[in-house]
Amino acid sequence: MATFGRGICIITGASKGFGRALAHEVSHSLEPGSVLLLVARSGTLLQDLKEELHSFSERQHLIVHCIAVDLSTREGVNETVRIARQEAVNEIDHVLLINNAGSLGEISGFENFTDLEMVNSYLSFNVSSALALTAGILQVFPCRAGLRWNVVNVSSIFALKALPSWVLYCTAKAARKMMFSVLAEEEPNIKVLSYSPGPMDTEMQEDILRLTGTRHCLLPCQESAVKLVKLLHDNDFPSGKHLDFFEV
Amino acid sequence: MSSSGTRTDLGRALCIITGASRGFGRVVARHMSGLLKPGSALVLAARSGDELRAAAAEVTGAAAGGGGLLVLCVPVDLSHSDGVTELLAAVKTSYTDDMDHVLLVNNAGSLGDISRYMTSFTNMAEVDSYLSFNVSSSLCLTASVLEAIPRRPGLRRTVVNVTSLCALKPHCSWVLYCTGKAAREMMFRVLAEEEPDVRVLSYSPGPLDTDMFTLARSRTADPDLRKSLSDMFAQGQVLTCDESCTKMMKVLLEDQYVSGSHVDIYEV
Repeated sequence: MATFGRGICIITGASKGFGRALAHEVSHSLEPGSVLLLVARSGTLLQDLKEELHSFSERQHLIVHCIAVDLSTREGVNETVRIARQEAVNEIDHVLLINNAGSLGEISGFENFTDLEMVNSYLSFNVSSALALTAGILQVFPCRAGLRWNVVNVSSIFALKALPSWVLYCTAKAARKMMFSVLAEEEPNIKVLSYSPGPMDTEMQEDILRLTGTRHCLLPCQESAVKLVKLLHDNDFPSGKHLDFFEV
Repeated sequence: MSSSGTRTDLGRALCIITGASRGFGRVVARHMSGLLKPGSALVLAARSGDELRAAAAEVTGAAAGGGGLLVLCVPVDLSHSDGVTELLAAVKTSYTDDMDHVLLVNNAGSLGDISRYMTSFTNMAEVDSYLSFNVSSSLCLTASVLEAIPRRPGLRRTVVNVTSLCALKPHCSWVLYCTGKAAREMMFRVLAEEEPDVRVLSYSPGPLDTDMFTLARSRTADPDLRKSLSDMFAQGQVLTCDESCTKMMKVLLEDQYVSGSHVDIYEV
């Protein structure tokens, strides 16, 4: 069975939805001595998740840390990097960073986006934070022989396709897609994947339904998480590629 | 209208240009002034009041039909909400109901620190600041102008996004610039989808003889990219702003471009 070796895996937005499902799926692929860093704002939800993983993680000798921080702040990003650095003392052969944390933003007609502070706040959480965190973790675990490095950008079809009233979300997803493409160009030893998970049964989709009245046929998070993990194990894509759940 | 159906002027227009003090924006101001009918207004925004006034001096008196062009210099920092508000106020005072065209040129932009690679961008404030100026300000300014001057019969509304090949293709050591340009292109594509009556042109002007290009070819960290830029310069492949602007005006006058699409100078 393919594994992520003795690795350190960082998942942002791990408390709910897709991030939470990923925590479960990824943990099955981590070998003893691996470290799982779960990052989100809610300490309570993270603790619940840690407990869910408990019997499995104990058996598997997985170290699980809950990092309850706000990634839209410099302090939140720095704290995550600090804890990763603490764990860097152990010998690992794989780093897996999953940039999953994200938000929908306001869904509204273009001409309503006149508030610079609001737009900046949205871009800070959804774009700047992912860049600063990725850069920080890269500095903690510089590329070296024998170290496999994977970065995942949880993306969306709306990184590619413009959707009326969704200017914030589309703009941030398009920004991230390019950002991670630059990473792939700059760092040939890092395997970068932008993964569009499809519409899943998450709170974000509930918000979408409430705000737009649009109901999609929803995937269980777990199904999409399984697919992402398989893509990572198969490792059969060029770095920087954008892949969608429905096309693989 | 000429017999081919192409307009020969941009009408009695309110034309707003950001980053109008230097480089491409300054040349756009000059070209625009030659295509605006009497009763038009040209609002020029940038940080430097002195440079704006020099740009305005190049423009005044050049209006089509020999006069009647109001030129307003608005020195503002668009990366702050005060800047956007102040520019919007100038836009509102310059607009008159007998105008038949409002044209916003989102040209202001910066390269970001291209002397560093992505792994060095651990400072969120630096990235936030970059995105504020290059992405957020153009969203808020465009939204504010469209809200302030709503759709009405007989009024054309055009929004230009000065873009780049970097919106489409990743470039080593240029993470901020590529990210900002990709973000803007998507942003303006959403506008084009939402508002079919607004003409949205994402124009990629090519490599230009500006301060930005000088910075690019001298400071780029990636050796291959730096070499290709300085080769471009050495081999005379850098375009003048005039050449590129002429093409952009042609595209605007012909008005045949697909709203929201990426139009590259080399395809014009």
